[in-house]
Amino acid sequence: MRRVKIFSGSSHPFLVEAICERLGASKAKVDLKKFSNGETSVSIETSIRDQDVFVVQSGSSNINDSIMELLILISACKSGSAKSITAVMPYFPYSRQSKKKSHRGAITASLVANLLSVAGIHHAITVDLHAPPTQGFFGKPVDNLHAEPLIARWIKTHVKGWQEAVVVSKNPGGTKRVTSLADALKLNFGLVTTARRRTAPHGSLENSMFLSGLNSSNHSLENTDTSPPNGTVTDGPRSPHRHPQRSPPQANGIGPTSVPYRHLNNNRELGSSPLTQSTRLESGSPPTTRLPPYNEPVTNGYAGALGLDEEKAEDEDDSGDEYTDERARDVITGRLIHGHIVDDDAPSPIPSTMSNSIATLPGEVMGHPQTDGLDPMTSSFMSTTSAFQPDHGLGGSVHDAAGQSDDEEAGFKNPELEHTITLVGNVRGKIVFIIDDLIDQCGSWIAAAETVVKRGDARKVYCIATHGIFGDDSLEQMEACDCIDHIVVTNTYPIAAERVKASRKLVILDVSNLLSEAIRRNHYGESISALFQHYLD
Amino acid sequence: MATNSIKLLTGNSHPDLAKLVADRLGIEQSQILSLQDSNHEISLTIGESVRDEDVFVLQSTRPGNVNDDLMELLIMIRACKDASARRITAVIPSYPYARQDKKDRSRAPITAKLVARMLEMAGVNHVITMDLHASQIQGFFNIPVDNLYAEPTSLTWIREHVNLDQAVIVSPDAGGVKRATSIAGRLDLPFAVIHKERTRPNEISRMTLTGEVSGKTAILIDDMADTCGTLCTAAEMLAEHGTTQVVSVVTHGILSGDAIKKLNACTALSRVVVTNTVPLLGKDAMCDKIALIDISPTLAEACRRTHNGESVSYLFSNAPPS
Repeated sequence: MRRVKIFSGSSHPFLVEAICERLGASKAKVDLKKFSNGETSVSIETSIRDQDVFVVQSGSSNINDSIMELLILISACKSGSAKSITAVMPYFPYSRQSKKKSHRGAITASLVANLLSVAGIHHAITVDLHAPPTQGFFGKPVDNLHAEPLIARWIKTHVKGWQEAVVVSKNPGGTKRVTSLADALKLNFGLVTTARRRTAPHGSLENSMFLSGLNSSNHSLENTDTSPPNGTVTDGPRSPHRHPQRSPPQANGIGPTSVPYRHLNNNRELGSSPLTQSTRLESGSPPTTRLPPYNEPVTNGYAGALGLDEEKAEDEDDSGDEYTDERARDVITGRLIHGHIVDDDAPSPIPSTMSNSIATLPGEVMGHPQTDGLDPMTSSFMSTTSAFQPDHGLGGSVHDAAGQSDDEEAGFKNPELEHTITLVGNVRGKIVFIIDDLIDQCGSWIAAAETVVKRGDARKVYCIATHGIFGDDSLEQMEACDCIDHIVVTNTYPIAAERVKASRKLVILDVSNLLSEAIRRNHYGESISALFQHYLD
Repeated sequence: MATNSIKLLTGNSHPDLAKLVADRLGIEQSQILSLQDSNHEISLTIGESVRDEDVFVLQSTRPGNVNDDLMELLIMIRACKDASARRITAVIPSYPYARQDKKDRSRAPITAKLVARMLEMAGVNHVITMDLHASQIQGFFNIPVDNLYAEPTSLTWIREHVNLDQAVIVSPDAGGVKRATSIAGRLDLPFAVIHKERTRPNEISRMTLTGEVSGKTAILIDDMADTCGTLCTAAEMLAEHGTTQVVSVVTHGILSGDAIKKLNACTALSRVVVTNTVPLLGKDAMCDKIALIDISPTLAEACRRTHNGESVSYLFSNAPPS
């Protein structure tokens, strides 16, 4: 390509080499170094006057250095009179901080977007933003490319029997991503969700485990125990969250019958398992007709909640509804302590619900235990936080979940917290693809994998994400987890060679084709929409 | 309700200085929780309300962690802005990237300007800094910048610790002549200058000395001591020209790289006096030549005056009583 310069930051040289190779270009000469006091120095050693400049920079273990290097490179290109400057960020730094997560937290993704504009970009190219609304933070055009076609093609060519697999989201917020891939592959989908357990004192077998099905003998059971997750739900992904909070009344209903878990599960399997039918056949029918008639008695006493549910369901778009009809209610729950699934009769880690509810408040982390002597302002801060929590969990959109999934990770690390983990959807004997946009900490992945294997009896588990950040030793921990068979990521984010070598489960897909094509099309002014389409093969 | 007092926030860069400033102002530092991921992404939460408050964000830069500290500062400012602070003042005792202030070669970035625009973009309303490498950096901002001087405080130290009868002020490079002559004038001392030819940043080659130094105590004045190559070569050169001892007074003691090794090896240099604009991170324990001047009174006074809408110009020539 003529009059194009591709600059590489120091974070991910191999990716840039691959991109350049595909474009038949060579990396533009630049000298990147750090002064001894830690300041970044950039020196561009080729003319860029009136050329299209692309600066490729991913993240690294020193992400702030990567950002500064990118900003300084852009600034240098600007002062070197480049015609246009495009920042190519396979992984957009700070993309997880796209909203005010806590009181007085910063919207750092917006800050980074603004910093890029200030440094002088005209255009940005990125892959699978954690929250797609982040595009709106830029005053400049942003191409948010998707790795999904790549992942879909990999699944089709490398996974034997993928047609019978189930795509699982490990948190409610990721459902959009998961349904999108499920759509593309015409697969069923499931959902794993965790909720902090609030009823620790009487948290034993009865209310921690809950199974239901539309078809089988325990149908009548459901009617008597008036359980909202089964009957009333038009909106599958949300229901599990109500579940733990309402468990005590349900416990009384189920307790006496007390069927062992496996037995129950088998029973249901004998009947026609709902998820084995194709959900797609009926997707055209209007939502109201999907409510099975037997649900009507169930709504007694939950009329308010039902109304709310229906109202919310209306807001969901069609693709969500399509999957959340009456079939998606194979609900299985388990107990999660220290990030691992435990037996139902395992002891609860702490008896106090009080410390449960405040343990993750920021105030306490700062060394100010706020249990006593609360001043009025602090207590209002606390009450709003805890009142906010359940609602937060119910939120279904992608960007809502961004914060939630991170909170989950924090919760897993807290040994004092016990979680209820819920699996919606039937994965028995199937291959499971657990999908999210990035793998950083591994707690929620391992928990989800253990749930689908130990609780849902899945045959094989693939953990699939676009960005493999693998903070701390999470790759090694996932490698050690028996429930995970394969880990699939793309090379948007650099992974140390020795870690890759040490991992037998890790599969890395190459996105250089996608990025180089985006660069080429941008330079020639061609449409990039084709890059969003799935491969036809 | 806004308390109408100063809210002082600080990051992880220089807690000691923040404590000194807060004590001087007689206030508590505001609660802030700043965490770093395994890949160094910073996530922070301000622990108390800053709505409609006059917020001062103090952040220095740790040598070796400049980019982390700068990002933390930007995120703190942004968090205050998002939390509806009335006014945000960044207190940056050592301005990062101050030396990249001009296009000194083809296609060089003017990073000091980039930093200025980044700070503005993050939402800062006012900047307080100290001994900018080039005063022109003030012009990179479209908001008011107070460039304070450590000079009055340094003068106090010099008067207390150096025999001024037989002393000479020396500037180790042509760029610092103005700073050195100002001190020479205030102390009524003679003045000398060393001219150095720099080939690459942080490396120096030939030097020439102008001025009479033999038999005197030379006081080397500079704005920063980074790798200390300049200081040590200058001190050795002064010793060759017959000075009795060489004392160096600098504002920003960055002391990165093998600065400590060089200082310990340099017999000509008897003292290195730095201020606490930059955290020493325990380097003073490794080198007994290092003496520390506390400039927190100046910073605290500048914050107080800015908050109350009083004039700051008094601080340009006077050190507040410690």
